[in-house]
Amino acid sequence: MRGVIEGGWEFVIAAYVITAVVLLGYAFSVCWRLWKAPRHDAGR
Amino acid sequence: MGNSRWPFVTAGLGLALLVWGSVWGLFYAPREVYMGDVQRIMYVHVPTAWNAMLVLTFAFACAVLSLLRGGWGWDARLEAAVEGGVVLSALLCTQGSIWARPTWGVWWDWDPRLTTTAVLLFAFAGILALRGFVDDPVKRAVWTAVAVVIAYVDVPLVYFSVRWWNSLHQLQSTPETVSRAFHWPLRINAFGVLFLMIGLVELRARLAWQRRAAESAPPLPSGVAVATGRL
Repeated sequence: MRGVIEGGWEFVIAAYVITAVVLLGYAFSVCWRLWKAPRHDAGR
Repeated sequence: MGNSRWPFVTAGLGLALLVWGSVWGLFYAPREVYMGDVQRIMYVHVPTAWNAMLVLTFAFACAVLSLLRGGWGWDARLEAAVEGGVVLSALLCTQGSIWARPTWGVWWDWDPRLTTTAVLLFAFAGILALRGFVDDPVKRAVWTAVAVVIAYVDVPLVYFSVRWWNSLHQLQSTPETVSRAFHWPLRINAFGVLFLMIGLVELRARLAWQRRAAESAPPLPSGVAVATGRL
């Protein structure tokens, strides 16, 4: 026990994959909803 | 709300920066002495934390301006910023949990930083959910703004929790607390998330604006409604 963490790449990969999925998924969701939204002029 | 393409360009630039910073952080930045490769989670976790607080601060500013000046533009930006803040807060908790497992030995601990962040996530997610139940657009705008001003009290609590109370979580990541070798991938990813969220919040605000406009639009003539299959 030296207080040093060995390995752990599976956690690193999981964090980066989840980050990519969430950010890309949210970006796609916003673009999709905007594209599908009806076009009107707001009052103010 | 305009129709210009700058939010797409800004979001695209943000994604490109995120790819650059992540490749640097994963493959070129040195291993940290104690945490080893697990520390590389910092390059996505810390930028997410900074930008979650920034987006929610923008939501707070929109809430104050919505209350003081009115106007549907501020309400649309408020809705967009709250949703963006909820997405980043949820991502932040997930990344933190993944980092906690190999370093602390647990996925979750009711430590002050984690607890205040969870409160932040559920408070703003609750505001977003409740907003969907209010039909009157004026009441919806006012109630959302008031709720955001109240919920925002938790943001400084999250930031200072590691200094005010005993916490498992390390102190805030600043140039003084992070080694120089780790600065650049951290900065690049921070600007990557920032640009991405600027673009997405603007696009999401346009969506809120369109929905608000559709609410106040006069009903379609019955013949048109039948012809378009809306009834």
